Amino acid sequence: MSGISDTERMITLKTVEGTLFDVKSSIAKDLKTVQAFIDDSDDDVTSPIPLPNVFTRELSRILDYLNNHHRFRSGIEKADEEMARYDAEFAKSMSHEELKALILAANYLNVKDLLEFLNQTVADVIQNKSVEFVRNFFGIENDYTPEEEEKLRNENEWAFNGVEQD
Amino acid sequence: MMVMVMVGEGVGFQDLPEGCIANVVSLTTPRDACSLALVSSTFRSAAESDSVWDRFLPSDYNDIVSQSTSSSCRSKKQLYLSLCENPILVDDGKKSFQLDKAYGKKCYMLSPRMLFIVWGDTPRYWKWTPLPEARFSEVAELVSVCWLEIRGWINTHMLSPDTLYGAYLVFKPSSTGAYGFEYQSIEVSIAVAGGETHKRTVFLDPERGKRLRYQIVPRRVGIFNRTRMVAAAGPPQPPRDNLDDQYPKDRKDGWLEMELGQFFCEGGEDKEVEMGVYEIKGGDWKGGLLVQGIEVRPKQCVHANNTI
Repeated sequence: MSGISDTERMITLKTVEGTLFDVKSSIAKDLKTVQAFIDDSDDDVTSPIPLPNVFTRELSRILDYLNNHHRFRSGIEKADEEMARYDAEFAKSMSHEELKALILAANYLNVKDLLEFLNQTVADVIQNKSVEFVRNFFGIENDYTPEEEEKLRNENEWAFNGVEQD
Repeated sequence: MMVMVMVGEGVGFQDLPEGCIANVVSLTTPRDACSLALVSSTFRSAAESDSVWDRFLPSDYNDIVSQSTSSSCRSKKQLYLSLCENPILVDDGKKSFQLDKAYGKKCYMLSPRMLFIVWGDTPRYWKWTPLPEARFSEVAELVSVCWLEIRGWINTHMLSPDTLYGAYLVFKPSSTGAYGFEYQSIEVSIAVAGGETHKRTVFLDPERGKRLRYQIVPRRVGIFNRTRMVAAAGPPQPPRDNLDDQYPKDRKDGWLEMELGQFFCEGGEDKEVEMGVYEIKGGDWKGGLLVQGIEVRPKQCVHANNTI
C-alpha cells in the first residue's frame, strides 16, 4: 500500500452507456456491491469497474445523494434539517418512472440508506391508494382470474372498508 | 439478494426482487398490506411475507404471546390478524392482550381482580362469579353499595408509543337489573403520573342517554329503570352535543363500555396511569352491575386520505 490514505483514493465506475464517473473511495464504500468487488480484487482496482445494470442518469443521482449526505454528516449541527429538506426535494424532483429506475439501481448497487429512503418515498405514494392505482404506478399486469380476485377481496374485506367504527 | 436484470425501457416493478417489494410494503400499513395483495400474485407473495408482518407486530410480541397458551399460527400475518380478533390472556389470566387492527397498537383489558374495588371483598356489596361469556375467570358483581369506587392502573411502558389511548369501564347490568344509576351521575377520572387528573361526569345508565337523545317516553320499565331512591330533582340536562361522551356505548361482544377518559402515550417512558370510577358523594344505594374489567385501547381517529 502506498502512503495515500483511503479517503483520497479514486475509483472509476462505468455505466451502461459507457460514461465514466470518478468516485472517492469513501463514497464508493456506500455502494456495497462496488465495495465487495474492490474487496474481492487482490490488486488495487485501477481500470473502470463496469456496472452493466446501471444507467448514467441513475448513477449520477445516487452519487449526488451520497455526496450531499456525506457533506451534511460531516458538517455543522443543523445538518438534520438541511438533510430533510434536501431529501424532500430529491424525492419531488423525480417522476414515478425515475423513482422506480432509481430503486432498481440502488438495489443493485446495494446503497442501504438511499434504498431505505426510496422505499419510504414509494410507500408514502402507494399508502391508502386503490389497487388500480398501484398497478398503474408500477406498470404491473393483473395476473389473477376474476374468481381469484373476488376470493382475495373477500378474505381481506376489512382492508377495503375505510376506517372501522368500534 | 441481488437479481441481475437487463434493464430496458419502461422499468417494471416486477423486475425488483420480492424482498425489495416487501421492504416497501412493510413501510405502509396493515390495511395497505392486505389490499396490496390484490395487485398481482408477486405482490401478494411479498405483501403476505413474514418480514412485512413482523414489522407490523409490536417489537416485544414474542414475550407477550409466550405468556399465553393459545395455539401457534402458521404465519406472522395470521398471528397479527388472530391477535386483532381474539384477545389472549396474559399475566396468569389477570389481563388480556389484543392488537388494534389499523396499526397494530397494543390493547389491554385489566380483569376485575386487578382492580382496586372498595368493599370488593365483602359479599354483601360485591360478589365474584364466573360467567361463561366473560373474558376472565370471574366478573365482579356489584350487589349494592353506597360508596362506589373502582380504580385500575396501567404503566405506559406496556403500551404503544406515539398513541392516543382511551380507557373504558366494561360492564353490563346483572340479571337482577341495575338500579340507582338513572339519576345518579358518576365521576370518572384519568391521571398520568406527573400530570393532571382529568375528571368527567357520566351516567352508567344507557337507557337514560337514549331517552334524552330521542325524547323517548318509556312505555315499560326496563331493567335500568328500577330506582330505589330517586334524587330530589333530576340532574340538569346535559347539552345535546355532550350526550355521546356521557353515556355507555354498546360493544360488539355484547357488553357495555363507559369511557373514563384519554391520555397520550409518548413512548419510552415509565409512567403509571390511574383510571377511576367513583360515586362517593350522593350516599344513595346503587347496584346490579357486572364489571368485566377496564380496557385500554387506542382511540379511533380519522385517517386522512392521501391524495396525489
